[in-house]
Amino acid sequence: MTGTGATTALASLLQRLEALHQDKTFGVVRDWKARTGGLAVGFMPVYVPRELLHAMGVLPVGVLGGGDSIEIIRGDAYYQSYICHLPRSTIELGLNGSLDCLDGMLFPATCDVIRNLSGMWMMQFPDKLVRYLDVPQDFAPDVGGAFYRHELLDIAGELARRGARPLDDAALRASIAVYDANRRAVESLYELRRREPWRVPSDELYLVMYAGMLLPVEEHTSLVEEYRAAVCADAARRPLDQARMLVTGSFCEQPPLGLIRTLERAGCYIVDDDFVAVHRWIRGDVLCAGESAAGDALDLLVRAYLEQGVPSAIRYIDDDRKGRDLVERVQRSGAEGVVFCAPSFCDPALLDQPMLVGALDAAGIPWTAFKYAENTGQFQVIREQAGTFADSIKLWSGAGA
Amino acid sequence: MTAIDPHPASSGAPAPEPGRPLLTAGVDVGSSSIKAAVFEDGGPGRERMLAGIVERLRRRDPLEVAEVTFDKALEMAGVERGALHYVATTGEGEHVPFRTGHFYGMTTHARGGLFLDPEVRAVIDIGALHTRAVLMDGRAKVLGYRMTSQCASGSGQFLENICRYLGVTIQEIGPLSLAADAPELCSSICAVLAETDVINMVSRGVSISNILRGIHDSMAGRYVKLLVAAGASGRVLVTGGLSRDEGLLQAMRDANDALDIRAHPDSILAGAIGAALWGGFRARKLAERGLSLSGGGA
Repeated sequence: MTGTGATTALASLLQRLEALHQDKTFGVVRDWKARTGGLAVGFMPVYVPRELLHAMGVLPVGVLGGGDSIEIIRGDAYYQSYICHLPRSTIELGLNGSLDCLDGMLFPATCDVIRNLSGMWMMQFPDKLVRYLDVPQDFAPDVGGAFYRHELLDIAGELARRGARPLDDAALRASIAVYDANRRAVESLYELRRREPWRVPSDELYLVMYAGMLLPVEEHTSLVEEYRAAVCADAARRPLDQARMLVTGSFCEQPPLGLIRTLERAGCYIVDDDFVAVHRWIRGDVLCAGESAAGDALDLLVRAYLEQGVPSAIRYIDDDRKGRDLVERVQRSGAEGVVFCAPSFCDPALLDQPMLVGALDAAGIPWTAFKYAENTGQFQVIREQAGTFADSIKLWSGAGA
Repeated sequence: MTAIDPHPASSGAPAPEPGRPLLTAGVDVGSSSIKAAVFEDGGPGRERMLAGIVERLRRRDPLEVAEVTFDKALEMAGVERGALHYVATTGEGEHVPFRTGHFYGMTTHARGGLFLDPEVRAVIDIGALHTRAVLMDGRAKVLGYRMTSQCASGSGQFLENICRYLGVTIQEIGPLSLAADAPELCSSICAVLAETDVINMVSRGVSISNILRGIHDSMAGRYVKLLVAAGASGRVLVTGGLSRDEGLLQAMRDANDALDIRAHPDSILAGAIGAALWGGFRARKLAERGLSLSGGGA
């Protein structure tokens, strides 16, 4: 493909991704249901075992809130002003019919607000499958592992009762392989951005990852590879002198696309992040990592959760481990600084922040922090803050000042 | 762990050669004008401005004007685009396609101010929309700042609007203000109220000189407060578009005689100058790591 041809193909792909991101009526999910007659089940951030749903013929659909494009009319009546924005926009989507195409919703244990939302969902949508996914906080296989396996089997039973295919070991193993391929494709794209961030602007990467919340996984893997090939062929992209940043804290309520663009236009290259965290929640392959161990495919999934999950704020683990992991991510990505970019009132992110700051300070890694809501529309203050932080890194980092 | 080079090299810019001066450019995209400066940078204390120009936007596309202004500056300096080691933008220049990197206004005005007057440790950048008081050290490292809120009162744009109402040109403001004998103070907080004040003054027959000096006095009061709040003392350099307004400078001096308020003939170029100089600094820093980036050739 010629340079111009590659640019045109990329522009057309990005247009499609933008359309997917803007469509809060989940048209692509409705089309899938009409085509296949299968069940579609929504899930909130941060993590659900999508492999299980896939193996039962169910389309997992990521519901990441209403973003900055929907007006909250009824959602505000459900939550106090000191609660984050995600649940109010999600309930707005539910009440205005946008989520009618979903046969159920899974609410992974993230914080009290999400637990609360699952209760509201049960009352508002009594005919739908509504499930609070209680994930283990004890990571011993015979304690947390046994508990988690029981939870997953329980969900599988509920899905089967609503018409999904019964859970089958071979099918689950095949689904895990499909998701492993997806994780490898995603990781490969993140690796490209770490190496050549000018090729993979983070707002584009975000759109590619967001598409994975709506599309069947096989289609998403192809899309990731298509995007990767397109940006590699686009000769118009060239490097700029920008400071390399790791952005953390945005694993649940997502930042508006405008905020991500603002950060990169302000002189930062985002080289690592935790946006749309479900894609990178499990590190590495599930099959390869667990193959030598005894047990069935469900055990592999359970073991992956216990042993390969990222040390996130929603896991109750040693704070030192989270800090060490952040420092390692900074080093691995070649980041020159960290931006704590958390949603306002996000307890998990904001409560972990002081410990993470301590780890960065001890390692001599500069950082800055600000908060957002998914519908934040004014970025001038963030622009100034991120821009001057980037300047300070470019001019004074290592200057002994 | 994979080692990643934080700033991978690309072709396009000449690699800095030891002992040879660098060629850099700075482009300051403001809300009413574009400023460009071209430098020969022989290292700390050996920087020389080859060209510096200001082009008013006059409702044209800022990116187009930036490109034209940049090319004019290069022509004045006798420098080819491909010879530049770094093109730095500042102000609203994040979208300028031929940039190598971008620096923020506080960073560049501090550096530009220090270049124009090595003794200053504070600058106040008074532009069309915003005003920033910046404190720095002897290396132009920003130590603190204060800026005006979003309201445009007390900014260059406000003054331009008043000029239109009064039927005077921007160049006439300073001399008219200096000739005032009984200034009439107007609102220093809100542009809408200030404009109403001016209309009332005109209908009461207050002279244009006294109206302008009154406006200058109220603006100067805000700026001096900003400087004091930032912790400025001693010599202060006024930069940005309003640094050429003698009436405003005098009003600032009268508002606080503890501050030594100054301006330089090239004060308006401070942002572009600072950008060009920081560009040279970065080009050297990158070269030390064996890296270079495209310098305006794109």
